[in-house]
Amino acid sequence: MSERFDLIVVGAGPAGLAAAIYGARARLKTLVLDEGVPGGQVKTTHKVSNYPGFPEDIKGSELAAAFARQAERFGATIARSVEITAADLGGLAAPEKRFVLDDEREVVAPAAIIATGARPRPLGVEGEARFRGAGISYCATCDGAYFEGKDIHVVGGGNSAVEESLFLTQFARSVTIVHQFAEFQAEASIAEEALRHPKIRVLWRHEPRGFHGETSLAVMRVEDLAAHAVHDLPTDGVFVFVGMAPQADLVKGLVPLNAWGYVETGEDMSTPVPGLYVAGDLRAKRFRQITTAVADGTIAALAAQKYLRDRYPSRP
Amino acid sequence: MSDHVHVIDQDRFEAEVLRSHEPVLLDFFSTECPPCEALAPKYEAVAGQFAGRARFFKIFRQGNRELAAKLGVTGSPTVLLFKDGREVGGRLSGDIKRSELRQAVEALVA
Ligand SMILES: Cc1cc2nc3c(=O)[nH]c(=O)nc-3n(C[C@H](O)[C@H](O)[C@H](O)COP(=O)(O)OP(=O)(O)OC[C@H]3O[C@@H](n4cnc5c(N)ncnc54)[C@H](O)[C@@H]3O)c2cc1C
Repeated sequence: MSERFDLIVVGAGPAGLAAAIYGARARLKTLVLDEGVPGGQVKTTHKVSNYPGFPEDIKGSELAAAFARQAERFGATIARSVEITAADLGGLAAPEKRFVLDDEREVVAPAAIIATGARPRPLGVEGEARFRGAGISYCATCDGAYFEGKDIHVVGGGNSAVEESLFLTQFARSVTIVHQFAEFQAEASIAEEALRHPKIRVLWRHEPRGFHGETSLAVMRVEDLAAHAVHDLPTDGVFVFVGMAPQADLVKGLVPLNAWGYVETGEDMSTPVPGLYVAGDLRAKRFRQITTAVADGTIAALAAQKYLRDRYPSRP
Repeated sequence: MSDHVHVIDQDRFEAEVLRSHEPVLLDFFSTECPPCEALAPKYEAVAGQFAGRARFFKIFRQGNRELAAKLGVTGSPTVLLFKDGREVGGRLSGDIKRSELRQAVEALVA
């Protein structure tokens, strides 16, 4: 027996939860699926300063929880920690969307919004997989406290890398940022704060080449890009923030992807598959922020609503 | 906590983990750790499936720093697998899928 919904949203990040708020308020029976807890990338961001409506900084985990509470208040169901073990997103002839969860539960809806976002991109260098959780981390809020009084490195130079470096100074004795370019890509305000910070040093124009150690990480090998020389840096830990990789597995082969693996959609978040929408960081677009994700989610839910009304006029 | 997952402290590590007759899983978790929260129901579910064949423990990292340091654990969640008093197999860490965990336990009890 499968459970029926009007709208299934995959991914409980800002895009998916905004879609759920709009879907549930339109009285669509809305289910949100997430392989983890709600919030997406926001739940592990230590503070958010640019989301309108919060004149003081808000903790990412609090903003994430608030998004989820708001969706649930209007009747959306959020299924947490579920794994989609099979999916059929329908085609032109059979528009029903079907998901099997943990090999044991089937859910079906005539419309679906895929908002699976992106996850941290690994560097792809030697030793990285081996030392994951044993010296290498992709989440400062999760693992920062392990590095109390330690000398650590952060790889990257965009907003996430610089923001999270500032956060890590509350635990670490020193934070050395390793960045491939000669200046940060981060917003000027946080870049300046980092450059002034007594605990932060920067190795400009350096790139990691490998990770080494016995049971846990001890050394990061870096290349000095200007001098074309390789050095071994002793380290207690390395945090990697070098951008994100889109999570397009569910829709691969069904919808057009751009060269970087992001999904091309219409302006209304539609795809060539009827009743299938894609919203948030997973989309091919120029700027990926919480504000742009919630905008996408809003549009996708409104478009799905119109689709359901047109296609199933007898529904409420 | 459930019937199948028990929380221990480092003073029980030797007795519960190293001297266990069955294979053991040990999950280091932290507070303010969304992937740890995400893992909890999956860990429960898999523990239920393997009841009697493997034992499932959780250990709070903040209260058990020495053991985490000794085992070289620097991230949460990290799941370690033990058999006959020794750590075996690859560790699982970060965003862990239920299927991935189940496969690791299947290999551990095989
Ligand atoms: C460290 C960091 C700091 C940031 N700081 C800011 C900031 O200050 N301000 C700002 O505006 N933006 C910030 N961003 C960017 C912002 O967080 C993202 O643009 C936004 O979260 C994208 O939302 P989303 O809903 O599209 O995707 P995501 O947030 O990536 O959420 C996707 C969700 O889908 C789930 N999922 C993925 N695949 C599956 C699957 N197969 N099955 C089930 N569930 C799945 C994931 O578990 C996740 O919960 C930051 C990002 C990072 C990494």
